[in-house]
Amino acid sequence: MEKDPPKILVFSTEKISDPALDLAGLMKLHYPPTVHAVVVPCSSSVRPSWIMHAFECGFAGVFIAADGSDCPYGETCIEKTAKIVERTHVMMREKGIPTENLKMAAVCSVCAELFVNQMRLFAGELADKTTNAT
Amino acid sequence: MIKEPNFTGKRIGVYICQCGSNISDYVDVEKVREEISRGKGVSLAKITMFACADSAQKEIVADIQNEPLDAIVVASCSPKLHLNTFRGVAERGGLNPYNYVQVNIREQDSWAHSDKPAQATLKAIHLIRAGIAKVSLSEPLTPMTIPAENSVAIVGAGVAGMRAAIELADLGVNVHLIEREHFVGGRVAQWGKMSMTNQTGEEIITELYHEVKKRESIRVYTGANIIASKGSIGNFNIQVKIQPRYVEPPCDPESFKKAIEACPVEVDDEFNFNLTKRKAIFFNYRSEFPAMPVVDMAACTRCEECLKYCHGIRLDQQYRIIEIHVGSIFLATGFNPYEPKKGEFGYQEHPNVITFQQLKRLLDLTKGEFRFRGKKIERVAFIYCVGSRQIDGENKYCARYCCTSAIHAAIQLRQELKVPFIYHINKGIRTYGKQEILYEQSSTSGDVYLQFVEDDPPVVEVLNNPIKVTVNDLLTAHMEVTVTTDLVVLITGMVPRVNTELISILKVPLGKDHFYNEIHPKLRPVETMIDGLVIAGCCQGPRNIAESASSALAAVSKVYSILNKGEIKLEPTLAIVNPAACEWCGKCLEACPFDAIERIETEKVPVARIIESNCKGCGMCTPVCPTEAIDIKGYTNPEVRSMIEAMSG
Amino acid sequence: MSDDFRNSSLNELDALVIGGGIAGLESALNLAHMGFHVMIVEKDLSIGGRMIHLSKVFPTLDCSACITTPKVSETARHPNIEILNHSEVKHISRDENGSYRAVIEQRPRYVIDSLCTGCQDCEEACPVVVKDEYQYNLVGRKAAYIPFSIASPRIAAIDLDNCILCGACEKACGPGAIDFTQETRITEITVNSIIVATGFKLFDPDRITRYGGGKLKNVVTAMQMERQLVPTRPFNTVLRPGDGKVPDKIAYVLCAGSRDATVGNPICSQICCMYSIKQAQLILGAVPMADVTIYFLHVRAFGKGFDEFYQQAKMMDVQFIKGKIGRIKELENGDLMLRYEDIASGQVKETQHDMVVLSVGILPNMGIEKLFGDEKFKLDPFNFYNQPNEMTDPFKSNLPGVFIAGTSTGPMDIPDSILSAGAAAAQAAKYMKQHQASISHQATTPL
Ligand SMILES: Cc1cc2nc3c(=O)[nH]c(=O)nc-3n(C[C@H](O)[C@H](O)[C@H](O)COP(=O)(O)OP(=O)(O)OC[C@H]3O[C@@H](n4cnc5c(N)ncnc54)[C@H](O)[C@@H]3O)c2cc1C
Ligand SMILES: Cc1cc2nc3c(=O)[nH]c(=O)nc-3n(C[C@H](O)[C@H](O)[C@H](O)COP(=O)(O)OP(=O)(O)OC[C@H]3O[C@@H](n4cnc5c(N)ncnc54)[C@H](O)[C@@H]3O)c2cc1C
Ligand code: SF4
Ligand code: SF4
Ligand code: SF4
Repeated sequence: MEKDPPKILVFSTEKISDPALDLAGLMKLHYPPTVHAVVVPCSSSVRPSWIMHAFECGFAGVFIAADGSDCPYGETCIEKTAKIVERTHVMMREKGIPTENLKMAAVCSVCAELFVNQMRLFAGELADKTTNAT
Repeated sequence: MIKEPNFTGKRIGVYICQCGSNISDYVDVEKVREEISRGKGVSLAKITMFACADSAQKEIVADIQNEPLDAIVVASCSPKLHLNTFRGVAERGGLNPYNYVQVNIREQDSWAHSDKPAQATLKAIHLIRAGIAKVSLSEPLTPMTIPAENSVAIVGAGVAGMRAAIELADLGVNVHLIEREHFVGGRVAQWGKMSMTNQTGEEIITELYHEVKKRESIRVYTGANIIASKGSIGNFNIQVKIQPRYVEPPCDPESFKKAIEACPVEVDDEFNFNLTKRKAIFFNYRSEFPAMPVVDMAACTRCEECLKYCHGIRLDQQYRIIEIHVGSIFLATGFNPYEPKKGEFGYQEHPNVITFQQLKRLLDLTKGEFRFRGKKIERVAFIYCVGSRQIDGENKYCARYCCTSAIHAAIQLRQELKVPFIYHINKGIRTYGKQEILYEQSSTSGDVYLQFVEDDPPVVEVLNNPIKVTVNDLLTAHMEVTVTTDLVVLITGMVPRVNTELISILKVPLGKDHFYNEIHPKLRPVETMIDGLVIAGCCQGPRNIAESASSALAAVSKVYSILNKGEIKLEPTLAIVNPAACEWCGKCLEACPFDAIERIETEKVPVARIIESNCKGCGMCTPVCPTEAIDIKGYTNPEVRSMIEAMSG
Repeated sequence: MSDDFRNSSLNELDALVIGGGIAGLESALNLAHMGFHVMIVEKDLSIGGRMIHLSKVFPTLDCSACITTPKVSETARHPNIEILNHSEVKHISRDENGSYRAVIEQRPRYVIDSLCTGCQDCEEACPVVVKDEYQYNLVGRKAAYIPFSIASPRIAAIDLDNCILCGACEKACGPGAIDFTQETRITEITVNSIIVATGFKLFDPDRITRYGGGKLKNVVTAMQMERQLVPTRPFNTVLRPGDGKVPDKIAYVLCAGSRDATVGNPICSQICCMYSIKQAQLILGAVPMADVTIYFLHVRAFGKGFDEFYQQAKMMDVQFIKGKIGRIKELENGDLMLRYEDIASGQVKETQHDMVVLSVGILPNMGIEKLFGDEKFKLDPFNFYNQPNEMTDPFKSNLPGVFIAGTSTGPMDIPDSILSAGAAAAQAAKYMKQHQASISHQATTPL
C-alpha cells in the first residue's frame, strides 16, 4: 500500500495566504491531503510554542504561509515573522528537530500555484528524510 | 488514531454540507457524519444538500432552539463566502455569532484533493474536529461600534471620481475630491467625440464639473497627492500635499492669454501626446477646469515675461499640506493608454505610425481636411490589440474599450473627414452588445477588415514611403495582403496608471493584471481587502465611460451604506491582556504597529492595556510576550493549541 | 412575508423593485442597506432569476448557486425587504406628490406558505407528470411540486393547469398546507421610486429553420446544457436527449439568433461566447474523453479575466473554428451533419457531431412600458428599456424616479448586472432623498 505522505501543518493568514489556498482548490490544483491549515490573522502572530506543539503532536513539518510584503498590517510583518522563525529554530535545535522541518514563504492571495508547488516539494523532502532515516 | 477534542460541556451541532455534489462527490459525507457524531459534546451531526439555502438555514435555527445547542459548526465552503451567512443563522437561533465556526472542506479539501477521495474524507474529519475543538473553547464576543465620519476622500477626478462625488454629496456625505493633475476630467477630457453617443469629452467633463461646483459639500483639490494615511474604516486621517499652480485670481482670461503668448519656453504637450508643443504656463484647452492656467515649474526658467501681463502669477507660491478626516476612501485613479515600445509595428521608426490616443487628439484638433505633418491623409490603417491580448506577454487581457472606440473613430474619419480608404487589421473584433451596430455600419460603408492571428502579426514596412503593412489574412483563407497607407494607427490598450506611492500608502491590493483588485467580482465587486477602501472606474480594469460611471455609482451605494448609520461595527477579534500574567516588559508595545497598547497601573503594578479602537487584531503582539499574557480573541492560545491537536490525529 | 403586512394599511414603502433576478436582488439589498424599505415583485414562484439556475459562472468558475443563495437568503430575511412572489404589477400611476401607486396581482399557489414545510410529500403523492420548465424540459415534474431544490421560498405550489383535482396531495400533506380555495390577491402600494429589473428573454431557436427549427432531437439550447452541468444536475452526466447516449463530439454554434438582422436581432448578445467557453470547459470535466468544437464568428472575451479564460479553454483542447454554420442535418443514427464555411481555408466543409448546442442570444423582455398608462416609459431601438443619458447617468430611465437595472437595459453578464444594480440603487436613493425633501418642503411652505 502507498505510504501516506508526511503530515504538514500550515499557518495561513485570513486575508492574504488563506485565499491562495482557496484558489488552489478552486483551480483543482492538487497537493498532499495530509496538509492541514490553521488560519491566523497575520503570519507575525504565530507563536513559536504553537509550532513546537505541532511537532510534539506528530506533524513532520510546519509551513508558515507568510503575508510578506502584502501584509495588511504593514511591512514590519516580514521582519517579525522572520524573528519568529529564528526563535523557533533555536527551540527546535534544543529538541533535536532538524530546522528544515520548519519552512516559510510569502504566499500572496493569488499565489495558488506557488503554494501547491511548495507543498509538493516540502512533502517530498520530508518523505525522503523519513525513508533515509529508517 | 484520531484525537478527540477536549469536552467542555457545550452542546454542539455539526452540519456537513454536500454543496450539491461539490463536496460529496469526493468526501464521503456519511462516513464523516458518523465519525463526528461520536465525538463528545456533539449533540447532533447532520448532512445538508446546501447549507446556505434558506430551508437549511431555517432548519439550523430550529435545531439551535429545540435541541437546544450552545454552539454550531458548519463544514462547507470557504468562510470567505459564508462566514457572515452562518453567523447570522447562529444569531437568529439566539446564539452569539462567535459560537459558530465554519470549516472549509470544499476549497481546502474536496476540490484540492479530488484525486484522493479517501484521504479527503479523512482530512474532512480532522478539519471538522479542529472546528469542534475551537468552538468548544470559544467565548461569546460582541462587536464594538465606532463612530464613522460622514465624509469620503475620492482620489481621482476623472469621470468615475466626479460622477461619484455628485451622488455622494446629494446623499448628504461630505466629499473631498483629490486630483493629482492641475485640471479635472482625467482621460475623457482628451477624447473629443466618443462612442456610443457622440458626445465630446469636453461636453461631458464640463457638465460634470458644473455639477460638482454647484455643491458646497464637495471640496475639490487639484495638484493634490495623498502622502500619508492613518486609521481605518470610519476614521481615516489623510495628509494631502497640494502643489501650487503658481497662479491665482484675480486675473481675466484675456490677460492669461497674453501671458501664455509671452512665455518663451516651449515643451512637448503631453495632453496632445507630444503631437504639439505648449508653453511653460498653459492650459490644455480653453474651457478646461479649474479655468486657470498653471505654471509647469520643471520647464519654467523664471524669466518673468508672463508677469508683465498678469498679476495673478505667483512664482514663489509654496506647497501646502492639509489633513482630512474621512470615513471611507474611494479610489478612481484611472488608467494610462498603452505606450508602444520603439519599433513595435514601426512605432517611432516612422513618424506616420501613431497611437490611437494621438489619433483621438488629432481628430479633436482637426477642422476641415484631415492632414498630418502637412500632408492630406487618404489612407489609414488601424492595427488592433497593440499592448493587449498578449498571450505570452505582460498584458494578457483584452482592453475592452478599443474595438468599439476605434471603429467609432473610423466612422468619424469616413463621414466627417471623407477619408476614403480605411483598413482594420484586427485579431477578431469585439464590439460586444449594442456596440455591434457600429461594426455593422463601418463594415457596410466600405471599410476593409483584415484579420491576423496571434503568432503571425502584421508586418509594418517603414523604410519606404508610403508605409506598407502586410497581413496574412484569415478572412480570405490566409491570403497575404499588402496594404499601402499614409497613416498607421496603433489601437493601444489600457494599462494601470503609475501610482506606486498611493498603492503603498493605502496598501491597495492588485490583481494579476496589475489593476486594483476587488474582493470578488460578483459578491463584492467594488470593495477591496482593506475595509472602507472602494474602487471604481478604470483603475480596476478596462472599461468604457458608461461602465466606469456604473461602477462608480455602485461604489457610491457601498460607501453610503457604510456611512449612513453614523457608526460602524468592528470585528471583536482584538487583543486582550491577562493582567494577572502580565509582567510589563513593554515588548508588546514595541511590537504593535498601531499604537494600540498602553501601560497602565492597577494597584500600583504596571500592566499592558489594549486601546481597542486602535487595535486591528493583527496579533503581532502575541508571540513576543514572554509570559503568554496576550491573546487575540477568537485565536487564543488554548483554541489554536487544541486545533493543532485535533488536526494531528 | 408576514400576513400582517398584507392586510394592514402599511402600504407605503420607499421603493418598488420589479423582478427578483440577480439585478433586482442586488438593487433591493443595496437600498435596504442604505436604510430604505423596499418591495420586490417577482413573477416566478421563486426569486433568483436566471442566475440561480446556472452551473458555474465565468470567468472565475465558482458555483452559481453558491453565489446566488446567500444573496437570495439575505434578501428574503432582510427586515427592510418585502417579497411578493408569483406576482405581477398590473398598473402604475403617479399621484400629485410625484409618488407612484402600483397595483400588484398575486396569483395563488394553492399552498399556504406559512404551513408548508417543503417536505415534498405532496410531490410524491401527485400522479400527474408534466415537463419541468425549471429543468428546461429535460425531465419531468409533478403538478404538485417544489419549483427546484434551492428555490426561495422552498415551498410547494400546485400547477392548476395540469392538476386533475384528485386531491392526493391534500391527503398527503401533513400540516394541511394545501388550499384549493386560494384566490388572486390584489395589493396596492405607494412608493417614491421604482427599479425595473425584469431581465431578458432567451432567443427561441425554433425560429431558425437552417438549424432544424426545433425538430432535431440532439440539438439543444445552451440553457438546456447549463442544466445538465449544474451540481444538482438531473442526469449526473451529460446526455443527448435523442437516445440518452453520452455524447463524445459536441459542437457549439455561437451567435444563434444574435448579430443576425434576418431574425430581427442585429446586436451581439455579449454573454454567449463566454458561457459557451465555460460550458466547454465544464463538459470536459464531466465527460473527459469528449471533443468540443466551438464554431464562432468572433470571440467576445472582453471583460476582466475573460481573454485569459478563453486561452485556458484552448489549452484544454477545446477546438475553435471560425465559420458560420449554414445548415444542420440530422442523420439516421441521430448524429448531426454541420455544413459551414471554414473561413481559415475558404472552403465549405461538413463535419459530423453527435450533439449540437445552440448558443442562443438575449432578447428584450418587454411589457413594463404598458403599465404606466399615459406616462411614456421609453424603449431603445432594440426594445430594451431606454437610458436617455447612458454615459453619465446610466440606468436612469426617462421617467422621474424610475430606474432600470441588469439585462432589462441590454445584454450583460452577471458582474455587470450587479454593478448596474448598485448604480440604479445609488441613483434611486438620491432621488428619494431629494423627493422627500421637496415633499416636506411643500408641506411646510404655505402656498
Ligand atoms: C484612446 C482612448 C479612447 C477612448 N474612447 C472612448 C470612447 O469613445 N467612449 C467611451 O465610452 N470610452 C472611451 N475610452 C475609455 C475612457 O477613457 C475611460 O472609460 C474613462 O476615462 C475612465 O474614467 P476614470 O475616471 O476611471 O479614469 P481616468 O479618466 O483615467 O481618470 C482618473 C483620474 O485620476 C487621477 N489620478 C490618478 N492617480 C491619482 C492620484 N494618485 N491622486 C490623485 N489623482 C489621481 C488622474 O489624474 C485622472 O484625472 C477611451 C480610452 C482611450 C484610451
Ligand atoms: C445559458 C446561459 C449561461 C450563462 N452563464 C453566465 C455565466 O457563466 N456568467 C455570467 O456572468 N453570466 C452568465 N449568464 C448571464 C446571466 O444569466 C445574466 O447576466 C443574469 O442572469 C442577468 O440577471 P437579471 O437580473 O438582469 O435578469 P434575470 O436573471 O432574467 O432576472 C429577471 C427576473 O425578473 C422576473 N420578471 C420578469 N418579468 C417580470 C415582471 N413583469 N414582473 C415581475 N417579475 C418579472 C423574472 O422572473 C426573473 O426572476 C448566462 C446566461 C445564459 C442564458
Ligand atoms: S477591445 Fe478589441 S482592440 Fe481592444 S484589446 Fe480587445 S480585441 Fe483588442
Ligand atoms: S493585535 Fe496588533 S494592533 Fe492589536 S494590540 Fe496587538 S499588535 Fe497592536
Ligand atoms: S404542501 Fe404539504 S405535502 Fe406539499 S411540500 Fe408542503 S407540507 Fe409537504
